[in-house]
Amino acid sequence: MRVNRRTFLKLAGAVGVTSLANAPSAVEAIGPRPDADEGLGMLVDTTLCRGCRGCEAACSESNGLPAPAMSGEDAVFEKERTTSPEAYCVVNRYPGADNGADPIFVKKQCMQCVEPGCASACPVKALEKTAQGPIIYNEDRCIGCRYCMVSCPFGIPRFEYAKALPYVRKCTFCVHRLKEGQAPACASACPSGALQFGKRKDLLEVAKTRVYQNPDQYVHRIYGEHEAGGTGVLYLSAVPFEQLGFPADLSTTPYSQLTQISLAAVPFILTLAPPFLLAIHAFGKAREDTAPTESDER
Amino acid sequence: MNERVDSSAGTFSWPRENLLMGMTLREYLRSLVTPFNAVAGLILLAGLPVIVYRFAYGLGAVTNLSQVTPWGLWIGFDVLAGVALAAGGYVLASTVYLFGLKQYYPVLRPAILTGFLGYFLVVVGLLLDLGRPWRLPYPVVYSYGVTSVLFEVAWCVLLYFTVLSLEFSPTVFEWLRWKKARRRAAGITIGVVVLGVVLSTLHQSSLGALFLTAPTKLHPLWYSPFIPLYFFVSSIIAGLAMVIVETAVSHRIFHDQLSGGKHVDIDAITLGLGKAASVVLFSYFFIKLLGLADGGHWNLLNTPYGRWFLVELLGFVLFPCLVFAHAVRERDATLVRATAAVTVIGVVINRLNVSVIAFNWNVANPYIPSWMEVLTSVTIVTIGLITFRWIVNRMPVLREHPDYQGMH
Amino acid sequence: MIPHDLLTMYSAKAVEYLIAISFLLLFIPFWRFVNAEKIPAPAARRVPRWLDTVVEWFTVPSQVYFHPGHAWARVDGADIVTVGMDDFAHKLVGGASAIALPAVGSHLGQGEKAWSLVSDAKSVDMLSPVDGTVVAVNEQVAAPRVRSPRDPYGAGWLLKVQAPRLTANTKHLLSGTLARRWMEEVCDTLRARMSPDLGQVYQDGGLPVDGMARDLDPANWDGIAREFFLT
Repeated sequence: MRVNRRTFLKLAGAVGVTSLANAPSAVEAIGPRPDADEGLGMLVDTTLCRGCRGCEAACSESNGLPAPAMSGEDAVFEKERTTSPEAYCVVNRYPGADNGADPIFVKKQCMQCVEPGCASACPVKALEKTAQGPIIYNEDRCIGCRYCMVSCPFGIPRFEYAKALPYVRKCTFCVHRLKEGQAPACASACPSGALQFGKRKDLLEVAKTRVYQNPDQYVHRIYGEHEAGGTGVLYLSAVPFEQLGFPADLSTTPYSQLTQISLAAVPFILTLAPPFLLAIHAFGKAREDTAPTESDER
Repeated sequence: MNERVDSSAGTFSWPRENLLMGMTLREYLRSLVTPFNAVAGLILLAGLPVIVYRFAYGLGAVTNLSQVTPWGLWIGFDVLAGVALAAGGYVLASTVYLFGLKQYYPVLRPAILTGFLGYFLVVVGLLLDLGRPWRLPYPVVYSYGVTSVLFEVAWCVLLYFTVLSLEFSPTVFEWLRWKKARRRAAGITIGVVVLGVVLSTLHQSSLGALFLTAPTKLHPLWYSPFIPLYFFVSSIIAGLAMVIVETAVSHRIFHDQLSGGKHVDIDAITLGLGKAASVVLFSYFFIKLLGLADGGHWNLLNTPYGRWFLVELLGFVLFPCLVFAHAVRERDATLVRATAAVTVIGVVINRLNVSVIAFNWNVANPYIPSWMEVLTSVTIVTIGLITFRWIVNRMPVLREHPDYQGMH
Repeated sequence: MIPHDLLTMYSAKAVEYLIAISFLLLFIPFWRFVNAEKIPAPAARRVPRWLDTVVEWFTVPSQVYFHPGHAWARVDGADIVTVGMDDFAHKLVGGASAIALPAVGSHLGQGEKAWSLVSDAKSVDMLSPVDGTVVAVNEQVAAPRVRSPRDPYGAGWLLKVQAPRLTANTKHLLSGTLARRWMEEVCDTLRARMSPDLGQVYQDGGLPVDGMARDLDPANWDGIAREFFLT
């Protein structure tokens, strides 16, 4: 194939310009979709939580898990607990303001992110973001790669290391109850009104109103409003959130967007690289073919 | 028991010629008693039961992985470092077939074999690490998580493994003397090489992109939006260095295969590869500096992890770069080989840093691999070495097949 | 997270551009350093005062480039190289042969047939070490039945060639340590040929006679020669 340099440069220029014109719109896409707030969520007001752990019991019962460890024992709060394959939500106790006069209880579970890292990272869509909002888990698809665990900034998905046939476990917002028109088990069971279930946009209103009306009672921030692009579970607190075990260094970039540029580049590399490489090959051959051969002139 | 068996007597036997290298079964078995085989045998004897145990009792029984650290040595070494060190296949293939530097042909087939076996062992490592390994094909045949970088990695690796098989098939067909198949396989070489380079570019960089989803877990000095670029460029470095090392080792071990053939200037090839490695390392050093500037975390260089970062950047990138340059200029092939070994170690360190060492750097109980994880990784490498040797002893990888002299 | 706010970015971008420009500036000397060709300075006088190194049985001088087919080339200055056959080739085929040299003005290609050694109606070709045009021929060696000179690299030269692509050609030639190592391998092969069962017999002393190929196999000396000359 005889391709001279000028033709190639013209071709490359044309391709380059058109590809730039169709450049990935990933740059604009950083941010949750406009109708994200229509999704379901939960408001957790830590100033109202009394640490009864009724949510833990209800969650375990509704999801067919063993009863929570050390039920009814105060000693359970001595160590900070995390979720586990058999405990989708846990309540932890933290010292309150003013030298721990009134301790603060914080319920910890899947944050049901608006743009979840776990679901976007899953190579088989085992973890899947539903249009309703909750992130569900399709057991039949999971291959056990644990990339969702790497991608969750809150460290929520838990792997069944002890089993030979393991799955990944986390709170799925009781989708089985949502289907029946019921609220998640934890919200239904909460006696103190610390847990409120509803649409994210309504809950944001409620939260803002509460903070506005009781400015001394709350830190002026709703955790989950913007963190990691926004989460379905929102928190209110009387003390700074870093003191309650929340990751303090989260940016507002949605986790699903972190790999977008990388992924967007793939089809472009698949398109541009082969002709470019073939051209290099063709040039090399063309140069070889036209090189003067002295052996002809003996 | 001292009968002398004349193996050349009697009729031609295909299994004896091509599988037993012309020896009788008894001679062959006797030839297997070597120190290397003894050590390899011990490793397999210890490692294979551990592998069975892992499948019987799950990951928790065998590894030190935890809910906080879901990825460990198997991902960091067997998968990430394995893929990087197998990059010699696409680097040499493009050198010979796309850039037309035919003088590197003698090291091309071993490089492709190393690549082929490398990726095969990566799949083995994955089968060990996945919670449900029988579901490995799912991203390709069952459920498509298209938003995931890991999905793209799965596809790319599958396709590239196919490409590598096609690239290696002429060697196999020469061994089997299937002339037509060999001709057909050789005919598609350019297309297959181009595809191989493109797929390699994609998955080498995507393996780095995996860690973009963990900005709070990877140490700021290593976390960068340019990780994909770093992994791609360092894969070229890894490929070049690995070919230099593997050539040096092969030529010493398989010396008997080479003396009969045409004289091959391995030193010139080594120097050429060393020069390329030097230039790529030089560029890689500077793009790492650019990443440092972009991140703006200069102050972190004075912390323990910062000093480790500098060890990786200065000791295993800048230093080999300069030594390669010096060695090439002085035409010192031995120094090039030594530097290549250091470079290989450096790439492995980089992959381990990103996935295991600087990952979760600020966690209370840092992850340390269990002895069983280490043993299984060593077992996998041993299997690779044994397979490499088996193939090189029988197929025209280091030597030319008598029917195909000079045909490339 | 990576600070990409506007204020931080000013200094970050400044540093980045500085690094990129430094790279470009430093790359030029680096590239030249790595590519430095160590072509030996042209030999001032063709006086055999160079460092001769005798590798086992055959001389392998250090300022000469060798082609694996046992031809050699020495840079005389500008584009001109002197070309000949090495000590091994002389001793292998012996002084009984005549040499058919190409005419002045002929074109040679590296690795292609350059001249032939003729004896007993058999002819063995040798390959040219460089590309170029023949500008001079050594008349004395062309004459038949001349005793092989004791100076294969000096008075025993065969051709002078104008070689325009010398740098590229020398990339495929051996010199110095590489050439010595190559000659060692050649000696191994020759030794194996001489007495396959005895192998190491000639290790200490016993210089090969002129016309070794005929000694090894009188009927097939040309086949042996061709094997070593790669023709």
